[in-house]
Amino acid sequence: MIKNDYIPFPSRILEVIRHTEIEYTFRMEFHGTVRPGQFFEVSIPKYGEAPISVSGIGENFVDLTIRRVGKVTNEVFERYVGDTLLLRGPYGNGFDVSDYRGRDIIVMAGGTGLSPVRGVVDYFSEHPEQRGHMTLIAGFKTPHDILFRDDLNRWEKNMDVILTVDCAEEDVACHVGLVTQYIPQIQLGDVRNTVAVVVGPPAMMRFSVQGLLGIGLPEANIWISQERKMCCGLGKCGHCKIGDTYVCLDGPVFNYTKGKFLAD
Amino acid sequence: MDINTKALKKNAFRVTKERGMTASRIRVPGGHLDAKYLGEIQKIAETYGNGTVHITSRQGFEIPGIPFEKMPEVNVALQSLIDGLDINQDEAGHGYPASGTRNITACVGNRVCPYACYDTTAFAQRIEKAVFPNDLHFKIALTGCPNDCAKVRMHDFGIMGMTVPQFEADRCVSCGACVKACKKKSVEALTPVNFRPRRDARRCIGCGECVLACPNAAWTRSDKKYYRLTLLGRTGKKNPRLGEDFIKWVDEDSIIRIILNTYDYVKEYIDPNAPGGKEHIGYIVDRTGFEEFKRWALRDVTLPDIAEVMTPLYWKGVKY
Amino acid sequence: MGFCVTSMQLNALFQTWQSNYYIYAPRIFSGGGRFSDTDCIRYGKIDCVDEIVFDKKSEYSFKEILTPVSQTLFFFTEGETKEADAPKKGAVIFLRSCDLHALKRLDDMYLHNGPADYYYQRLRENIKIVLMGCTHSFENCFCVSMGTNVSASYDMSIDCQPDGTYLVDCRDEAWGQQLEAAGASQMAVVPSHVEENSVTVQIPENLTAEVAKSSMWKEYDSRCINCGRCNFVCPTCTCFTMQDLFYSENGKAGERRRVWASCMVDGFTDVAGGGSYRKKNGERMRFKVLHKVLDYRQRNGYHMCVGCGRCDDVCPEYISFSGCINKLQNAMTEVTEQ
Repeated sequence: MIKNDYIPFPSRILEVIRHTEIEYTFRMEFHGTVRPGQFFEVSIPKYGEAPISVSGIGENFVDLTIRRVGKVTNEVFERYVGDTLLLRGPYGNGFDVSDYRGRDIIVMAGGTGLSPVRGVVDYFSEHPEQRGHMTLIAGFKTPHDILFRDDLNRWEKNMDVILTVDCAEEDVACHVGLVTQYIPQIQLGDVRNTVAVVVGPPAMMRFSVQGLLGIGLPEANIWISQERKMCCGLGKCGHCKIGDTYVCLDGPVFNYTKGKFLAD
Repeated sequence: MDINTKALKKNAFRVTKERGMTASRIRVPGGHLDAKYLGEIQKIAETYGNGTVHITSRQGFEIPGIPFEKMPEVNVALQSLIDGLDINQDEAGHGYPASGTRNITACVGNRVCPYACYDTTAFAQRIEKAVFPNDLHFKIALTGCPNDCAKVRMHDFGIMGMTVPQFEADRCVSCGACVKACKKKSVEALTPVNFRPRRDARRCIGCGECVLACPNAAWTRSDKKYYRLTLLGRTGKKNPRLGEDFIKWVDEDSIIRIILNTYDYVKEYIDPNAPGGKEHIGYIVDRTGFEEFKRWALRDVTLPDIAEVMTPLYWKGVKY
Repeated sequence: MGFCVTSMQLNALFQTWQSNYYIYAPRIFSGGGRFSDTDCIRYGKIDCVDEIVFDKKSEYSFKEILTPVSQTLFFFTEGETKEADAPKKGAVIFLRSCDLHALKRLDDMYLHNGPADYYYQRLRENIKIVLMGCTHSFENCFCVSMGTNVSASYDMSIDCQPDGTYLVDCRDEAWGQQLEAAGASQMAVVPSHVEENSVTVQIPENLTAEVAKSSMWKEYDSRCINCGRCNFVCPTCTCFTMQDLFYSENGKAGERRRVWASCMVDGFTDVAGGGSYRKKNGERMRFKVLHKVLDYRQRNGYHMCVGCGRCDDVCPEYISFSGCINKLQNAMTEVTEQ
């Protein structure tokens, strides 16, 4: 008999980090290979399963950053360290850091889109020798929505970090405006040796990629990650299909030469 | 000219405003008939009448402009209609034996309409067979569903089709179509609980919108057909009013029994001095009290387990 | 091995099947139609051959046997899970050629698109197929255009004769021996199939996803009511959604089931945070149609649609799927000339 991929395994909550009113990172015990950009199906008590991308990877843990949307993921936040959650995964292809080694790197992230790329940014923050110049443009709706503040401060030390919010009511210690506005501020070297990773809401990704193509990046040097309603993660449920592509199997990370054909 | 107007009225003719002329009134129980009978009606209108036909407000036909002396010939000509529409008759060739109990009307029903919960014409015909001929002034109407296109609440007996929705949980795809349909088109008796609809039986009016909306046959209709029986609506000069709910989830047999019982009740209590022997049942019930009516109406009636009898009943309407 | 068998001989065979298999066939669900006093023909368990409806198309397909509308996957309590039991018996399924071709699509989706599906496979391994011959095409069928009108891989075929006997081609040895022993007369039998349908479709050779830009999809924005019937009756639609049912207040005990889903119905693409894709019904129609006759083929090498026409039979708005396919050629011309 074949393996039953639908049965989740219990994973211990090692730590809970609160970022905002509604966003938390759960550090979950996990032993196994996992890449940034991959996702787990997380069983959320009183809600159900939800695909959550990996926002951090350690020796025996993975970080899962979960946004509390409506009743969606409320319950999970009432769980405490030492309790368990049921997980399946990891699923999807994830980012391959070897694609970016030795090159100038631009990362553009919108909102929770920073979660799946956090592992990539972290890797190159810790291994600056493996890359050229690096720029991170991270955009959030308001100052209250900013995720991974500690990380942003840490990364700032060895890369250009442009933190921006769409709008702010009072003076803030970051930029105001859409991420695309800051593309001209990227310190650009040889575009052929520059790679970009873009993750965020559909409109943000579309305009960001346009902007990057506009400053001369070849399509093949851009990667995107698609968020879809992955119910099964196994290429069966059909919710994440775009054209002939199953985001859960073939993605969620796509090189733009392929990603540009993904039209819903 | 010597004509017994009482006798001609009982024979389904009318005293018209034109002296010497009458009109023949044709019953069509359930308001549905084979098209060939239209030809018969045309023939009578052109041979004996003035060549016109009125479609009556009770789904019959009225052929005006017939001289009184032609009534026997018209009665002979009506025989094919009386036979074809299976109208009870005392003696062939003598036309309709009564006119007091009016034609039983019905909306088009499930022979055509997707909403209808039953064959309204067939049930109308069944009632017709049970109650006709009768001189008492009864008005009965049937409608396929709670939309009440037949306006049955304007009648002494209003019959509305209902179905008890049956839910097969394992066929439910959680699409929400039934909940939405019930909310937008009916009475909001469905609420989603754990991805599936939960039906509030007390609220449900049995319209079948959930069955119509369900894309996967999770909701189906009950094997048995049920009805809402409304009572004693009327038009008229003194106190027109809408019929009130009497029994929810009543069955066909009980309805027929209740109507027949009501004839007995009326015979007992009708005002002996009523003009033309005609008195709306409602006025009689106003006199005897509803409980007395109910005692008569429910005699020997075995209602289905789910039936809900409303009591006491109060009517509103305009009083002049 | 071909036979002419009586219903008595067949029913005796059915009886031996019943010890190991449930028998599923299109049958009448009396009063089961949407409208009052109408029936529904769909798949259900049967005990004897007289229950099988041969002269009409089933409204819903056989797929609900292999991929139940609602299927419990496992039960969970405090960190523990318990797999749901498999059905106690296998299944003998009576189906027509189009549906037998649809079975291949289900197999490719559940067994080969990504890892094999545990629940599908454990049912699939234990089924027998009886092919129902088609002496004539039903309304809206276009199996010939889709190349699904003939099937060869079955355990037995069955054709209902006007005299009440049945012609069967028996490939299962044990069944053949039983029929032989019962005295069924042997003869050469080829299951009947249709050679033409009154409905034909032409899928343009040059069809690409570019056709999404055509104006042809707009009419479906208002015509389609996104009820999803076309998906639910389709023998090749396989989408499902996970549902967790909680037995306890704290949400730690319950069951997980998967339930049929439809790409036409609201909510199919909703992602956490409120986003969704394909809001217009025309876009959903395009997504579905192109899956059936374009992108499934790009992934699997052959078209998904089997031409059973059930989607046309069931659509309350009289939208024709085959009619839509036949608009694709002009739509391609429209988008390539731009």
